Amino acid sequence: MYHTGSFIKGQSLVYNLDPRIKLAATICLSVFILWVKPLIAFVIGSALFCVTLANGISLRTIGQALKPLLFFIVLIFLVHPLFNEGEALVSIPYLGLSLSYTGLQQGFFVVWRFLCLLVAAILLTLTTVPSQMIAAIKYFLRPLKLLHVPVDDIAVMIMLALRLMPILLTEKERIETAQKARGYNLRQSGFIIRIKAFLSLTSVVLSGVFRRADELALAMEARNYRRGERTSLVELKLTSPDYFVLTFLGIFSVIFIALNCCFG
Amino acid sequence: MILLENVYYKYEPEGIEALRGVSLQVREGEHLALIGPNGCGKTTLIRHLNALFLPASGKVTVGGHNTKDPKHQADIRSLVGMVFQNPDNQIVGMTVEEDVAFGPENLRLPTVEIKKRVAEALGRVGIKELAYRNIENLSGGEKRLVAIAGVLAMRPHYIALDEPTAFLDPAASIRVLKIIDKLHSEDVGIIHITHNMAEAALTQRIVVMNEGRIYLNGTPREIFGKFSMLKQIGMQLPPITELLIKLKESGFPVRTDIVKMEDALEQIRSLADKFKV
Repeated sequence: MYHTGSFIKGQSLVYNLDPRIKLAATICLSVFILWVKPLIAFVIGSALFCVTLANGISLRTIGQALKPLLFFIVLIFLVHPLFNEGEALVSIPYLGLSLSYTGLQQGFFVVWRFLCLLVAAILLTLTTVPSQMIAAIKYFLRPLKLLHVPVDDIAVMIMLALRLMPILLTEKERIETAQKARGYNLRQSGFIIRIKAFLSLTSVVLSGVFRRADELALAMEARNYRRGERTSLVELKLTSPDYFVLTFLGIFSVIFIALNCCFG
Repeated sequence: MILLENVYYKYEPEGIEALRGVSLQVREGEHLALIGPNGCGKTTLIRHLNALFLPASGKVTVGGHNTKDPKHQADIRSLVGMVFQNPDNQIVGMTVEEDVAFGPENLRLPTVEIKKRVAEALGRVGIKELAYRNIENLSGGEKRLVAIAGVLAMRPHYIALDEPTAFLDPAASIRVLKIIDKLHSEDVGIIHITHNMAEAALTQRIVVMNEGRIYLNGTPREIFGKFSMLKQIGMQLPPITELLIKLKESGFPVRTDIVKMEDALEQIRSLADKFKV
């Protein structure tokens, strides 16, 4: 199952890149995807999909990652053709709505951009060991140390958040199953009852989380964790493939910026 | 050596005492089992061994350092590793390698040394092939081994394990017990909380706790020989010892202070010879 912070061991150019390059490239690519003209965004997105598939990340894995967001993706898509004031393709007289061609086009490109951002994030998380990602974040946050920002503690907090997320989901499912096993059937209940059930589930999950957090803090202390500077398993070192990708990205950024300006 | 002298501990100032005058000595390289009914203070006791809990009164010293001395707490935690009951509450990293590295990173060791220790610890528990696996995809037994490896990477002289075989299937339990045995043979002191009497019988010394106090302390033979005292606090005996007691009660002349399978077999064989079965 895919979840944030998942990592699949593999061997390819992207897997072996320095995490700083991957993180910086993802951020640059995301900015480009949002900023450039729709057609150029389409080209960048298609290339991104190809790179993702070439790295052994299957369409199924991408689908699994997108599944929880499917509702929002459909909603984002529908909002445009339904509420855009263009030439109507189909009218729904009873609801006073009409689907416009311009809206459909807009909806497609907005969803495409959104999907590209998600795929970029999937490619980054699936090809980067979390510890490498944290090391990269720590590297970029390093200048903040001058302002006395506890960068090492922030890195540990990110690590714990990534670790606790799947645990939280498992805990929620466990409690839900236990409730169902005792005949608690929400499908047959009204809205108010569902809200109450949600609140009660949240409070049970939260109390479990606090208990777990207490125990985890104790376990970290037992392993000599103290606030402040720590060393790392990850050694950040740029190699020739990193320089190659950096140059490649630089050249393409210039080309895309030029193309974007020309078509503008 | 770990030394506890007349240790008292309360979780809350107005609450009841979880430890009531506990005195105990654990030698380096010793394998000790800590048994007793639920809530008798076993977990509270082992959490004193690496300065997670500090005694309200009394003294705990590890390698000559008082656990109350903040200057030595980091050294004490490196000397005594702690494996918690639920590995999910102990594992910090997203991948196996990352979690095992957590302790050495806290010790501020250089990257080369961290990598060396991670490989060594994974090798010692036999899970080198899991190094890059996501923690969420591991079985309960594998998670337990990761938790042990995480502690071993700090090269402790002692390891305190809180019910290391709880919730594991027999095969996973045997794997964990073999690793504990191997660590003991490598001269690591083991303090092992268990509810499984057969597991306790395999150790060098058993400490029985009841209501925050040490109730019995001795070799497995001595402890399981005092079966009426154990029964009084609701403890059971190893199945082998239980069988021999039943045989004796039925009139067969057998010894009842037997805790190991081989010794029990010997007894039953001599019984069979005697009755020409």
